[in-house]
Amino acid sequence: MEETAAIRTRKLSKVFGTRKAVDKVSIEVPQGAFLSIFGPNGAGKTTLLRMLSTLTRPTDGSASLMGIDLREDPEAARGRIGLISHNAMLYPDLTAEQNLLLYAKLYGLADPQARVMELLEAVELKHRRLDVVRTFSRGMTQRLSIARALIHDPDVVFLDEPYSGLDPHAVDIFDQLIEKQREGRTFVMVSHDLRKGFDMCTHALVLARGRVVTFGAKDQLDFDEFSELYRSTVGMGVS
Amino acid sequence: MARKQSTGADRARAGQVALSVPSTFAQYKTLLAKDLQQEFRTKEMLTSMGIYALLVLIVYGAALGQTAQATDVLQLSGGLLWALIVFTSLLGLNRSFNHEKEQGCMEGILLVPMDRSVIFLAKATSNLLFLLVVEVIAVPLFWFFFLTTAQPGPGFMLMAVPLAVGTVGMAGIGTLLSTITVNTRGKDVMLAVLFVPLIFPLLYACASPTTAVVVGAEGYLDVFTQSMALAGGYDVIMLLVSWVLYDFVISA
Repeated sequence: MEETAAIRTRKLSKVFGTRKAVDKVSIEVPQGAFLSIFGPNGAGKTTLLRMLSTLTRPTDGSASLMGIDLREDPEAARGRIGLISHNAMLYPDLTAEQNLLLYAKLYGLADPQARVMELLEAVELKHRRLDVVRTFSRGMTQRLSIARALIHDPDVVFLDEPYSGLDPHAVDIFDQLIEKQREGRTFVMVSHDLRKGFDMCTHALVLARGRVVTFGAKDQLDFDEFSELYRSTVGMGVS
Repeated sequence: MARKQSTGADRARAGQVALSVPSTFAQYKTLLAKDLQQEFRTKEMLTSMGIYALLVLIVYGAALGQTAQATDVLQLSGGLLWALIVFTSLLGLNRSFNHEKEQGCMEGILLVPMDRSVIFLAKATSNLLFLLVVEVIAVPLFWFFFLTTAQPGPGFMLMAVPLAVGTVGMAGIGTLLSTITVNTRGKDVMLAVLFVPLIFPLLYACASPTTAVVVGAEGYLDVFTQSMALAGGYDVIMLLVSWVLYDFVISA
């Protein structure tokens, strides 16, 4: 039996006023894949990610996540989604533990306290669990954000420019944490860093003006070929 | 309300976390507890509303110091008290979504599989509680400064009823409107522009019985009963409208 695609879109579009932010995007991402989405500013990367994570309603077309239609049953899809963005989505005046417990209870975890402790240990923040998030460095906040996104063990994790504001050391720690969580999960990452995005991905999607320029598995492509393709099609320099 | 959530059986990966479908009430309690925890840690809303209420009382003191008759103060008391409550509420409601906006927290909450009206109920409840706390401090102060020298009517304790009914309505409508205005430019002014006209019927329906019970003139109970029926009806309608519209508003 054919495995359900982690993400499938058909002519997915989003229009803001008269501007087409995403224009008839059709992609299929298998389970366990790591999709990197590239494109210049205003290409529609974040809008696409927001539609896939149910935060923005599409204007037209269809999308499904793990076989669940996002338009018909967004609530069911939300239980399978984790989102890590440059916004940590953590309450700065609550402690690390309170933040994770909040989400654990909202998602209906059977044993919220145990799961929170497990994740705090995984992101190496157990010793700071009683400190308010406002006192955390950017790197620590982003590590806690990983714990928040994974609290309900989602099947698909979206990463929206997760490296912004991180120093190189924090980037390394972040990468290691993501690497540990990759098994069996599907990741979709929006990134301006072509090198990093390409190294991490199994599939690549390039968008320009809301449209798909290139989409596919990266098996047959090395980075030089890909960056040349990106430069020639999108017409931008490589970061 | 029936909700769907995928559980272990239909999920692809092994070694998953045990999930159950939390009740709507459990999610409501969790969100409300979050708001209370935050406020008790920062005291941001309570402090700003409390200080503002105190300052308004000082201004009232200067203004009412010129009145010769104590009965004049009684006649004005309902209106003055409600003006104090409305402007203090505006200040608090403007801040009620500040924490949600910071670090994109509202998006984190929106990603949780739950009925969005639960978010409305929890936020409206926390706003109501904070407004009531401020009223518990401000109303006795108002009484102490302006009404101790006058002779209020025998049923003056009934003023707690319009205060409670009015505050429920203001918290509900205010929560909906502050959700609408939180991402607008000039949100402070925008909230006031939308809030005051919308709560005007409620304000009118609550100010007149407040004055009636304080003055205690003949037939004050009739005024009180009619006005409270109007205010109660307004609360029910507006809270239902807010509840129904909230999913659309917060998703927009």
